[in-house]
Amino acid sequence: MIRISPMSRPIVLLSSVALVAVTSLPAWAQEAAMPAAGLARQSLRPYWHVFIAYAIAIVLVLAWVMSISRRLRDVEDRLEG
Amino acid sequence: MSISGMRKAGTSLTVLGLLGLVGVYWLSFFWVPTEVSQGVAQRIFYVHVPAAWTSFLAFGLCALVSGMYLWLRDERLDRAAVAAAEGGMVFATIMLTTGPLWGRIAWGTYWTWEPRLTLTLLLWFIFLGYFMVRSSSENPEKGKRFAAVVAIVGALDIPFIHLSVIWFRSLHPQPVVVKPEGPTLPGDMLTLLLLSLAVFTVLFFGLFLLRYALEGVRAGLDERARRDSVPVSS
Repeated sequence: MIRISPMSRPIVLLSSVALVAVTSLPAWAQEAAMPAAGLARQSLRPYWHVFIAYAIAIVLVLAWVMSISRRLRDVEDRLEG
Repeated sequence: MSISGMRKAGTSLTVLGLLGLVGVYWLSFFWVPTEVSQGVAQRIFYVHVPAAWTSFLAFGLCALVSGMYLWLRDERLDRAAVAAAEGGMVFATIMLTTGPLWGRIAWGTYWTWEPRLTLTLLLWFIFLGYFMVRSSSENPEKGKRFAAVVAIVGALDIPFIHLSVIWFRSLHPQPVVVKPEGPTLPGDMLTLLLLSLAVFTVLFFGLFLLRYALEGVRAGLDERARRDSVPVSS
């Protein structure tokens, strides 16, 4: 296990942030050079919204179905018990 | 109809409704054409509009049976009211969550305080109050009566929601089906919308019957508890 002394922790933290920033720079540069990538993401957004809307509808309906069946089972168990 | 009959009918309608919902989703992705100006996001319409109609139907039914309960004091009417109100809340939540997803694409914002959206959110809060009034009252009978009044007041909001886009300057699209000169929606889109509306209505009535059956079983349990607590005189 690597031990980092308390004194050098801020340096390690700063150098980690710098490393992440440097490695992600090409991605930013690519994005700036290729607006088409941004456009593709932009045009996919409506699809995501449609999927989320349809998922919300089916999840809420199924949650109501399960909630009713659970409550019915509980009440019937109490009635039989 | 007996409670077991109601459960069978409710289960059948719910299964039919869920299968229908899968069918509506399939038709929405693979059959209906993409709308020219709004693009793919317009497909949210096939869930959002039927959810809105079904929630108005449920809240309207709740107000109707609540009024009858205040008049006749029949417990079955109160059970029907609470079952309808719960369904109304589920479908109103679908409407209030799917609408902003469309709004973000069409208007550039998830929410705006325009008349129709504000009145619909008010309706949701009024029926949230319906459940709070029922559960917070110390006297259950009084709670049911107060909740019935809340349901009637809440349902008065529904016509205003429909007319708000005509009366006020509104961002929300104007009606395309329920209008004096008839529907202006293209044939395929209208067919899928009406099919989706039928599916949501079947789902609502299926789950309404199951929820009503639950209240019936609960009433039987309460009745038994009351009977057991009364000492039998010799």
